[in-house]
Amino acid sequence: MLQRDSSFAKEALRYGLIVLVLGFIVFPIFWMIVTSFKPAADIMVSPPRFLFTPTLENYYHAIYDKNFLFYIKNTLFISVASTILVVVAGSLAAYSFARYNVGDGHILFFILSTKMFPAIAVILPYFLIFRDIGKTDAGRFLGIGLDQPGALIISYTMFNLPFAIWLLVSFFQDIPRELEHSARLDGLSRLKVLRKVVFPLAAPGIAVTGVFTLIFCWNEFLFAYILTRKAASTVTVGVESFFTLQGILWGPVAAAATISVLPMMVFVLAMQRYMVRGLTFGAVRG
Amino acid sequence: MASIRAEKLVKRYGAVKAVHGIDFEIADGEFVAILGPSGCGKSSTMRMIAGLEPISEGAIYFDGKRINDVRARDRNVAMSFESYALYPTISIYENIAFPLRAAGMDNAEIDRRVRDIAGKMELTALLSQKPQGLSSGQAQRVGLARALVRKPAVFLLDEPISHLDTRQRYRMRRFIKSLHQEFNYTMIYVTHDQEEALALADRVMVMSDGEIQQMATPDEVYARPRNAFVAGFVGEPPINFVDCYVENGTGGWTVSFEGQRLALPERLSKAAERIGGEGLAAIRPHFLSLGDTSPLTLQGKVFVTEELQDQNLIFVDVGGTRFTLVAHPTVTPRRCETVTVSIDPEHLLLFPRSEARKFEDLAA
Repeated sequence: MLQRDSSFAKEALRYGLIVLVLGFIVFPIFWMIVTSFKPAADIMVSPPRFLFTPTLENYYHAIYDKNFLFYIKNTLFISVASTILVVVAGSLAAYSFARYNVGDGHILFFILSTKMFPAIAVILPYFLIFRDIGKTDAGRFLGIGLDQPGALIISYTMFNLPFAIWLLVSFFQDIPRELEHSARLDGLSRLKVLRKVVFPLAAPGIAVTGVFTLIFCWNEFLFAYILTRKAASTVTVGVESFFTLQGILWGPVAAAATISVLPMMVFVLAMQRYMVRGLTFGAVRG
Repeated sequence: MASIRAEKLVKRYGAVKAVHGIDFEIADGEFVAILGPSGCGKSSTMRMIAGLEPISEGAIYFDGKRINDVRARDRNVAMSFESYALYPTISIYENIAFPLRAAGMDNAEIDRRVRDIAGKMELTALLSQKPQGLSSGQAQRVGLARALVRKPAVFLLDEPISHLDTRQRYRMRRFIKSLHQEFNYTMIYVTHDQEEALALADRVMVMSDGEIQQMATPDEVYARPRNAFVAGFVGEPPINFVDCYVENGTGGWTVSFEGQRLALPERLSKAAERIGGEGLAAIRPHFLSLGDTSPLTLQGKVFVTEELQDQNLIFVDVGGTRFTLVAHPTVTPRRCETVTVSIDPEHLLLFPRSEARKFEDLAA
């Protein structure tokens, strides 16, 4: 009896804590979604109203009046391009660090140390550099300049590579060398060994890295705010444009925020299987 | 199938020299075991043959053709690894088919070959599984099947059974021997276990410090080791060493140790001449017995007896030296009992004292 009581108390405590933590995480999202369907009059009232007549007015305002899907399109392009660059360059770099110990650990540490550099400290030089590049023909042709997607793609790639390399190195280190040796003796070239043996085994790690990078790019505000005006603005900057002189349009803000969270939610749910495998990686044994 | 020849083969890793310019020849279809303690250069040698490590100096020839600059994938060398090295993301079938697919063979032929080798290796029931659930014995058989499926010129085995438990090890040992007898591949087997080397190989190449200490048949390595290192490394329980003094008396060469003197048999006179003075005598535990049965006897005290049921190991203190001897299970002397140990002079070995160091390194 005593046993049952204590295990009941334990279970109750466990679920209580889960509810508490979930409340912190889920409630703001829930509130954002609820707010996005509220008429303007019901949003900023005290006490908050849970019963209201739902409306799509906020979405209409965000999508048609503010052209919010334009920001989504920009963000998607910039984030995906940057993530692909980070994953490709990061995987190759991490593989060579893991296998050939390039730079005896010093270069790897140096690369990681750039991550410790505060972004705010480099934003002004970045602004000036991209402004000047944007004035050149090559800059215009490649779309690298202020208020152009290239500037953000390059900045995001720069800022995510160190972390990506650092994360991926351990995944590659966990792949037994014998597998590569075996594949080489079995008749594959070095590049094919990478493609057919190493990368499939590192796939969970690459997936995790990709997810982290994409989420970072999607949520990034500082660089997007400083380096873009309108043409290349991303969702975070787009939401900020709802803070008008007439006041903050909370309904459309909530609708825009809901729209911009959705793609990431779908993406992460789709990648969940790989992420779990990736985060519990470390047991590739035959 | 191919014959292999190595000429002044050197492997350096930065400033460290792992293989010190060795020469050897392996005949077509021969089974050679490379035996040595860890760090002796045996794995580096094998990896240079495989093409996984560049050759620092010297050359390797397959069938008389220099292969230094031939890529690993073009050498037609198969290898079975200590850790099995199965590709975890694909099925057993695909693992075995892997080298055939890499060679661009057509599907019908691949299927025929995979099923053929899987049948021989008792793997047919497992073909659709992934490697994850396999027992270590099964995993090693898959590794061997993958190596054999493409009919390699040279088959390398890198400590293939050292991860298995004793019973499995015996089974796999017989299996590997039968593979060699059936397919007659040129096989090189790297191991640190002298018993495996003696049991499997046509010839054993004993390595230490990046050099070949002796390359000979198992009989010869066991009965006529070229130096104290080989004598000490090969044989279980390990050979007994004792400091001795060799001199030329009126009746020919004699050896004395622990206060005993013995006229050396004719067989050892050359060795005695070379040593002439302080030396190292060695005798295998199987050639020692309790009782007064030979011209050379020592008095000692029993230190410990291990009763292994099929035989007894008796450790006897003679002066400052401890001797191990193998006796019949009925021989069970008490601890501290004074006994007479007889040495069979026919099996006595002599080495220069300077080689004692190598043996001590090994024991430490």
